[in-house]
Amino acid sequence: MSGGWERVRSTRSRLSRDVSLTGRSSTSRTVRLGRVQPQAPGHRTIHCNDREANFPVRFKGNSISTTKYNFFTFLPKGLFEQFRRVANCYFLFISILSMTPISPVNPITNVAPLSLVLLVSLIKEAFEDWKRFQNDMVINNSPVEVLQDQKWETVPWKKLQVGDIIRVKQDGFFPADLLLLAGTNPDGVCYVETANLDGETNLKIRKALERTWDYLTPEKAAEFKGEVQCEQPNNSLYTFTGNLIIQKQTLPLSPNQLLLRGCSLRNTEYIVGAVIFTGQETKVMMNSMNVPSKRSTLERKLDKLILTLFGSLFFMCLIGAIASGIFINRKYHYLGLDEGAPTEFNPNNRFGVAALTLFTLITLYSTIIPISLYVSIEMIKFIQCTQFINKDLHMYHAETNTAALARTSNLNEELGQVEYIFSDKTGTLTRNLMEFFKCSIGGEVYGCGITEIERGGALRSGINVQEVHKSVSAIHEKGFNFDDSRLMRGAWRNEPDPDTCKEFFRCLAICHTVLPEGDESPEKITYQAASPDEAALVTAAKNFGFFFYRRTPTMIYVRESHVEKMGKIQDVAYEILNVLEFNSTRKRQSVVCRYPDGRLVLYCKGADTVIYERLADGNDDLKKITRGHLEQFGSAGLRTLCLAYRDLSPEIYESWNEKFIQAKSSLRDREKKLDEVAELIEKELILIGSTAIEDKLQEGVPGCIETLSRAGIKIWVLTGDKMETAINIAYACNLINNEMKQFIISSETDAIREVENRGDQVEIARFIKEEVKKELKTCLEEAQHCLNTVYGPKLALVIDGKCLMYALDPSLRVMLLNLSLNCSSVVCCRVSPLQKAQVTSLVKKGARKITLSIGDGANDVSMIQAAHIGVGISGLEGMQAVMASDFAIAQFRYLADLLLVHGRWSYLRICKVITYFFYKNLTFTLTQFWFTFHTGFSGQRFYDDWFQSLYNVIFTALPVIMVGLFDKDVSASLSKKYPQLYKEGIRNVFFKWRVVGTWACFSVYQSLIFYSFVTISSAGGKNSSGKVFGLWDVSTMAFTCVVITVNLRLLMICNSITRWHYISVGGSILAWFIFIFVYSIFRENVFFVIYVLMSTFYFYVTILLVPIVALLGDFIYQGVQRWFFPYDYQIVQEIHRHEPDDNSRAGLLEIENRLTPQEERSYAIAQLPRELSKHTGFAFDSPGYESFFAAQLGIYAPQKAWDVARRASVRSRPTTSKKN
Amino acid sequence: MDVDGGESSSSDSISVRSIPIHSRQSEDFLYKFKQQNIPACKPVLTPAWVIATLLLLGFFFIPIGLVTLRTSRGVVEIVDRYDADCVPEAFKGNKVSYIKDTSVPKNCTLVLKVHKHMKAPIYVYYQLDNYYQNHRRYVKSRSDQQLLHGLKYNDTSSCKPEESNNGLPIVPCGLIAWSLFNDTYKFIRGTAELRINRKNIAWKSDRNHKFGKHVYPFNFQSGTLIGGGKLDPNVPLGDQEDLIVWMRTAALPSFRKLYGRIEEDLDADDVILVHLMNNYNTYSFGGKKKLVISTSSWLGGKNDFLGVAYIFVGSSAIILALFFLLLHVKNPRPYGDTAYLSWNRKGISS
Repeated sequence: MSGGWERVRSTRSRLSRDVSLTGRSSTSRTVRLGRVQPQAPGHRTIHCNDREANFPVRFKGNSISTTKYNFFTFLPKGLFEQFRRVANCYFLFISILSMTPISPVNPITNVAPLSLVLLVSLIKEAFEDWKRFQNDMVINNSPVEVLQDQKWETVPWKKLQVGDIIRVKQDGFFPADLLLLAGTNPDGVCYVETANLDGETNLKIRKALERTWDYLTPEKAAEFKGEVQCEQPNNSLYTFTGNLIIQKQTLPLSPNQLLLRGCSLRNTEYIVGAVIFTGQETKVMMNSMNVPSKRSTLERKLDKLILTLFGSLFFMCLIGAIASGIFINRKYHYLGLDEGAPTEFNPNNRFGVAALTLFTLITLYSTIIPISLYVSIEMIKFIQCTQFINKDLHMYHAETNTAALARTSNLNEELGQVEYIFSDKTGTLTRNLMEFFKCSIGGEVYGCGITEIERGGALRSGINVQEVHKSVSAIHEKGFNFDDSRLMRGAWRNEPDPDTCKEFFRCLAICHTVLPEGDESPEKITYQAASPDEAALVTAAKNFGFFFYRRTPTMIYVRESHVEKMGKIQDVAYEILNVLEFNSTRKRQSVVCRYPDGRLVLYCKGADTVIYERLADGNDDLKKITRGHLEQFGSAGLRTLCLAYRDLSPEIYESWNEKFIQAKSSLRDREKKLDEVAELIEKELILIGSTAIEDKLQEGVPGCIETLSRAGIKIWVLTGDKMETAINIAYACNLINNEMKQFIISSETDAIREVENRGDQVEIARFIKEEVKKELKTCLEEAQHCLNTVYGPKLALVIDGKCLMYALDPSLRVMLLNLSLNCSSVVCCRVSPLQKAQVTSLVKKGARKITLSIGDGANDVSMIQAAHIGVGISGLEGMQAVMASDFAIAQFRYLADLLLVHGRWSYLRICKVITYFFYKNLTFTLTQFWFTFHTGFSGQRFYDDWFQSLYNVIFTALPVIMVGLFDKDVSASLSKKYPQLYKEGIRNVFFKWRVVGTWACFSVYQSLIFYSFVTISSAGGKNSSGKVFGLWDVSTMAFTCVVITVNLRLLMICNSITRWHYISVGGSILAWFIFIFVYSIFRENVFFVIYVLMSTFYFYVTILLVPIVALLGDFIYQGVQRWFFPYDYQIVQEIHRHEPDDNSRAGLLEIENRLTPQEERSYAIAQLPRELSKHTGFAFDSPGYESFFAAQLGIYAPQKAWDVARRASVRSRPTTSKKN
Repeated sequence: MDVDGGESSSSDSISVRSIPIHSRQSEDFLYKFKQQNIPACKPVLTPAWVIATLLLLGFFFIPIGLVTLRTSRGVVEIVDRYDADCVPEAFKGNKVSYIKDTSVPKNCTLVLKVHKHMKAPIYVYYQLDNYYQNHRRYVKSRSDQQLLHGLKYNDTSSCKPEESNNGLPIVPCGLIAWSLFNDTYKFIRGTAELRINRKNIAWKSDRNHKFGKHVYPFNFQSGTLIGGGKLDPNVPLGDQEDLIVWMRTAALPSFRKLYGRIEEDLDADDVILVHLMNNYNTYSFGGKKKLVISTSSWLGGKNDFLGVAYIFVGSSAIILALFFLLLHVKNPRPYGDTAYLSWNRKGISS
């Protein structure tokens, strides 16, 4: 257990992984992890633009290689990889044994299948490596412009050397780690997109040293003769130290001048840079690592089955060996067992006889382990991935032109058994797109859109809400999706309360910290906001006719229309006197502004709880109505903010402002003092209304979650967001609703805050731990109480990162696990990437459930790798998560297809393939085993060598692959219509010991039938001329029966039988006959047997009887099982038996509607559950204004996500080093 | 970024759907294959199917069984065990010394009574029990190449321990040939001897292709230990049908081998005297020796097993079918009843 936790931590340091230009498989990186060993000298000196000077140092080239093998190492290394499989080793052992004289079989019979299996595997390896090699070649050969003789020459990436000066154009990728020298933008600034590294699409600013700004043209750049002294290559993405020595001047370098390989250039025409690290030494490549290879749970269980088979093999051999020791006797004079008999038959040494017979029998029964099993499964899974999952049009996202991508092929069936899904929020569940959706002004709700959750709710109650045509006035732009003609185009003037509307809009336009950018026209302007909520609000104001277009440190300029009278436009400048910023304790933000006419107003927006506390008395009706609206918005999954204002008299303001300035200039506890001062003025507010912003969910998310949870999958949301946001999204996604009992474990309580303020770290830790323990305990008790009552509510747990840190402590972990497993949904907010991984492995290791993590960003990588299955969201965002994932899909909603359709089918198919393999080999081997009893336990083979070796490879190989590819119990649409069918996979119904046991029973039954029927009936003269059969006639007869039966048995396990089943089954049986027809002409011992056999009636009478009797048992079993103990899928099959198998998976849930869209919609809205919850949906993202403004000014300030990642990697490092 | 996997594949499948190219059929198949939509029949094993199949099976099997059984019953077979009876009283206590003592005469007479008319040809078999012709050491101790090519083929290592004697190779080598069965039978009806045709008792393929026409026994049974019968060194192996029959090793430790054919009818109540030479040693390992004379049918000799099996399986199928039918009528399972779905069942119970 502890090992597992350690591993999570160490994998954490692998957060950032290599990303390269094409989505090549990175399952096999040869780069060592964390190779940061100090090298002498501790720094490298690079002579820029001077290849001769750099030559003696012999820096590595810029070509990269991600291949596993090269031409020479392929065979030894590839074979070594193959023999790491126990089964292959076993067969090698058997092959060696069969070369010895004690073997009853020809060595070729064991060597040939093994060679074939190895050959197929090696070809597959070679093919995959070849693809990697080609990918590398594509990357290595992509062109880059390098400075040569005062000209830009295009060379392939691989020719690049350290010290070269290169030019990268807009949208180009950096071919190596570069030192930024100059860019076309003024101020030496360039923008880079780091999506490949961390999945963030927002642009990062890099700034060249002022000293190098001029080296932009080739002529000028050719003069650049700097010398860079910097650290040796290492894997830290966020640090870089070095000096640039230029004209005897030493300038310090920082990460701000470093452009990392894998990033791309944006919004900059081109830049000029010097190559610092190349190829494998670039930071991104140093970060790459071997993906921890995941094996599916089923496969691990298969290992157990194989071990059991080993056990039974050994047991069978032991019986035979002991009996042979007893049997051997000189009295059988015809055996010639005189003194000179070899040890294996020497009656004087019975022990020796037994020991050698043991080995003989092992080779004889070796077929009990199906050699072609692994290779068949691999083939099946490979085709399932490359042909079915990757090419499923239902998982193809047309907008981004992205199809699903299975990056590993050994987890297909695991997809059919997932019980817990851990999902990231932003980018996965939501689009990270805030849209102004509704509002409530002066007690009136405006905006008539329907959110996804409302639609989902309506659907559940049987109403299909169609997206109606937007009215003409509806405007939809980024951040604004509002449709209500009562407010648009100045129509608000005709509303009952136009003044409140005006205040509402002004509040939106003034009370914010947004920076306008670009042209000052409503169409072209872009708003740079720290949070997308704010941008949405300002955009809303713009659309309502209050266009905020310019900001200076003291003024806000708003172009107001329709204010005085319709159609009139005026520019108004508001003086911003104070900004009382947002933070998580205040949960509000205020601005004090002065109108041009001198009016002093404080506009405030914030959480309903804090605003309502500070409202002036009176007007209770409005408060009540607005609260109702807030709750309505909240339950519709919208994020709400309350808006209020207060008119200030100059006197009050002046006296307050003094205190404010005082607080602002105080040196100690400034934040706290500012908060206190703000309290003084943020009171007696007048409520204007509230806004409702839709945190736009990805398409189909609530529906998908609903489907998944009906499938028995529990979904946990792990997000770095704040608690409010997280809860809000949980509501929006239907994970939490008001009927649920919620347990909230938060560190944002007064008691904790108080202790935190005292600042004693040890004390804080102890206190929080105690609190968390207390909370957990009470929650657990309550949970158990709820579970014990019959109609107890469903449970939901919300916990924040800080509490989680303590709850994950070994002493509390069990309690946390118990509690969370009892909850139907769990939301973890404010969690670090490391914690995401910890929670994942808590469930994976602690509860031994199969987990799936889905995410899109770098912060999800650890979680993706920790889970059994990692799913990355591909498409718009970066590739980081995708590169770490096992499957990549474009949209969250495709998860339903991936799990319920592909996963379920794969699981079903693989189970069938494995059990069938088990059955057919056991049956075959058992006939051999029964024969041993009649041969004096001598180990005489029943079948000819080649029958035995080709049995697995030819006569029964193909049909089972057809099952692995084509078997479908119910169609894809039904799989999604009845998600509950998925539970069969979670319970692992199809690969239990009971199932295997049943198969084994039938194997024994069938093998007994084969052996006894054929041998008993073969006694006596066997044709009208009285001739008798020999050993080989009987065994060929038995083998024919086995081949026919086993192939027909396969048809019986099929749920759907295609033409290909018939062809392969028929073909396999035919192959046997063709084989024996030809073979018996050449082979001495089985010479002509088939012709002899077929010349007798006996053959035909027996061939009819034996397979039918053998299959009769299975047939009756199957009939009775379906009749009396049907599986769910069988019932579903029956329900929909007569329906044609249409593959259009949508449209099944839709109900026929004959209403006009308008009627339908109003009906639907009327039908919506109007329960009012306490949840009002306040949520507001603000990742710190400081850093945001700083970034705007070009100051290097690490963004939050980077910060988190860095902290995490710093924390993990001691662990790994200790381990090494 | 993800050009390699995603894009190409998706465009693939789309083009497959939309563009009709010359090889439309295979394209269509590929599309259906990738979308996992290949037409398939979906058998559902309903109770009706189970009952119908079982009934059909029964009605089909019982007649076959009856015919088969009748054929087998029509075969007249006389089995006589003689290994114990043919030992003189003096040697009853020590049969092994009897058989090993070459000075004791081995002749013996059996009296067989024909209880039913036997139509020619009548086959004479000898049957050995507890004789492991399928023992691994025994089975591999032969050289098929030598049998075909004689002394021209030198590699007789597989024939151990009977590959050579006095430094000379043995033809035919190996334990199987060495232990050739050598009891002989002479049949006398009334006063006349019944001719036993000992030709054409081996499978033709063996005679013609496995045993050389020009390979003569050499150095055979010349060692100190004699395992069994001797061969006429002047007759090629291809014509030594005794040997050919013997060398088609039996599958089970109890087996019959064809000795010859009586080509005259035997009437009921005929008494036949069998003069036999009881040469072969089965006494040391307690093996039984039996003489079998039997007529034959199209299905071969007397073997009720197949017929009984057919009838048994057929009748039990019908009984099962009736049982199921009764069950089905009395207590039918509603077909495709949603109440059987596990999630619904739970809902009802709780």
